[in-house]
Amino acid sequence: MLPSRRACRRLDPVLAFVAQVGQRSLQSLREVGYHAALLAEAFYWLLLGRWRRQPVRLRAVFKEAIGVGVNAIPIVALASFATGMMLAIQGIYTLRTFGAEGQVVLGISLSVTREFAPLITGIFVAGRSGSAIAARIGTMQISQEIDALRVIGINPVRYLVAPLLAAMLLTLPALTVLSDLVALFGGALYCAGELSLPMGVFFDRTFEVLIVQDVLHGVLKSVIFAVIVTLIGAANGFNVSAGAEGVGRATTRAVVLGCIGIILADMVFTFLTSR
Amino acid sequence: MNSADPAIDVRNLVTHYGTRKILDDISFQARQGEIMVIMGGSGSGKSTLLRHLLGLHNPTSGCIRLLGKDITQLDADAMYDLRKNMGVAFQGGALFNSMTVGENVELPLREHTALDGNTIRIMSRMKLEVVNLAGFEDLMPAELSGGMIKRAALARAIVMDPRLLFFDEPSAGLDPVVSAELDELILTLRDAMNMTIVVVTHELESAFKIADRITVLDQGRILMSDTVAAVRASDNQRIRSLLDRTPRNEAMDPDEYMERLTREIF
Amino acid sequence: MDIRIEDQPPFKVVRLSGDVDLHSSPKAREAILACLKQKSPLLVELSAVSYMDSSGVASLVEGYQTAKKLGLEFGLVAVAPAAMNVLKLARLDKVFPIHASFAARLPAT
Repeated sequence: MLPSRRACRRLDPVLAFVAQVGQRSLQSLREVGYHAALLAEAFYWLLLGRWRRQPVRLRAVFKEAIGVGVNAIPIVALASFATGMMLAIQGIYTLRTFGAEGQVVLGISLSVTREFAPLITGIFVAGRSGSAIAARIGTMQISQEIDALRVIGINPVRYLVAPLLAAMLLTLPALTVLSDLVALFGGALYCAGELSLPMGVFFDRTFEVLIVQDVLHGVLKSVIFAVIVTLIGAANGFNVSAGAEGVGRATTRAVVLGCIGIILADMVFTFLTSR
Repeated sequence: MNSADPAIDVRNLVTHYGTRKILDDISFQARQGEIMVIMGGSGSGKSTLLRHLLGLHNPTSGCIRLLGKDITQLDADAMYDLRKNMGVAFQGGALFNSMTVGENVELPLREHTALDGNTIRIMSRMKLEVVNLAGFEDLMPAELSGGMIKRAALARAIVMDPRLLFFDEPSAGLDPVVSAELDELILTLRDAMNMTIVVVTHELESAFKIADRITVLDQGRILMSDTVAAVRASDNQRIRSLLDRTPRNEAMDPDEYMERLTREIF
Repeated sequence: MDIRIEDQPPFKVVRLSGDVDLHSSPKAREAILACLKQKSPLLVELSAVSYMDSSGVASLVEGYQTAKKLGLEFGLVAVAPAAMNVLKLARLDKVFPIHASFAARLPAT
């Protein structure tokens, strides 16, 4: 057994620091393990629940899909539009130094589909839904609703997490494609004004330079983000123990860890697939 | 299961929280149709005992037989089947806040049975009638008072006509009239359905009124598990102090006390 | 559970016996509603019921309400104690027309 934190403080400060780092790492490792187990269990119920007499209900999946997906459309669309426009502005500003404004379409379409659309969608869904998932499950944890589910014979992961995961896996890629289109539209709109480039020509060129793999690259990322947001939200919710304050902490943690998780995963994924 | 077997049979139950021992060598039985009250002050381990009876935690050692099946050994499928015969009313009700009262009560039926929708609705409304909440099925739990939440939770607990009913602190936080009504309801349920009912409480009056037998817990151990009359007549000092509501005044080990105060300093 | 349907003019009689529980009550419900569909007044005989849970009672409630809507007579006959307790719990013993025996309801012949 590890020495308690109080016992650590009495040791040599350096030793205490090392002990604390060790304790933290062990805790993080445990948390990663917990997330992995949660993911495995959620998939287990999604795939095999029907044979274990505990099916994941389609209605629940649809309900969650509306909550995490459909209701996120306005905010994701707005952010994507602004991003597309911002990319056009910056692109034209940068490329003008080389007198290569015409190449801005290439820059916009590639960075939108491969990077910005999935990232913005992921971050916004993490902010909207990651916190909501943690808050909902955390509140249910402290009001004993999770216990109530278990004694009724309803597996909480099957009932709460599996439909969410399915909904996220369905809606996040869809939102990403939507974000692609809206961001490109924003870029096209600015180019039309600044470079007098007709919108039709902008989109024609876009579809010339884009290959399926670019779009797929972005959509695949969004699938990973969907898993990250759901798991981090749910895990923080289930681990709430200290009353209402704990729920507050869990929601904050879900958003912060969710966003960081998304950005790190994005980096690793891009590194592995783009060289 | 043989009908002569006890409905609940706990043997040598030992549980830990981390390294701290919470329950120590707990053994008691309850027959079918019996109301067993588990009593004890706060920190006595009665809530932990209940959570183990419900199969929410795994004990360190010992066995818990419910309706003849040892829940510490059961696989998930068998436990799932057993849960159809168990109803639980939690202390705070634990109603699902996102559903109406009616949907809450119907949930176990919808999850466990393939009954017709009409049958399910009639069954849940009947149970709401039993707990005097007729006509409240379309309200949300947040719109109910404390007593109503407990009654709705009870309706949900009994909607499957379980053979075992667990009730955590039925009278906590309620005014005396409402809690007397709940006691009455518990007795009615036992008489009508021959349920085995486990009630966890620290309220003496309620315990003496409804119990067939009482198990008294203190610091994780059973002081006695006997009939109401025997508990009333007991001359065990701790039980007397619980009954007479005198503060505990236990013998002190000076060395151990000093060690507790100065741990990790010297 | 066992169901037998008999004719005792002018009534149809549904005889339930054994355990009327979550598994078997849908069959009892079907039998009761099918008889009522034929526009026949109905008696449900419960003397040999060893156990009845609230799903069984709910089926009786639905049958009674359907009969009322159709203007048909509906009654329970010789209710076994096992079923009576559950009826009493929901205060339905005061609602259903309950007859001690067929003789008490059937016209003397």
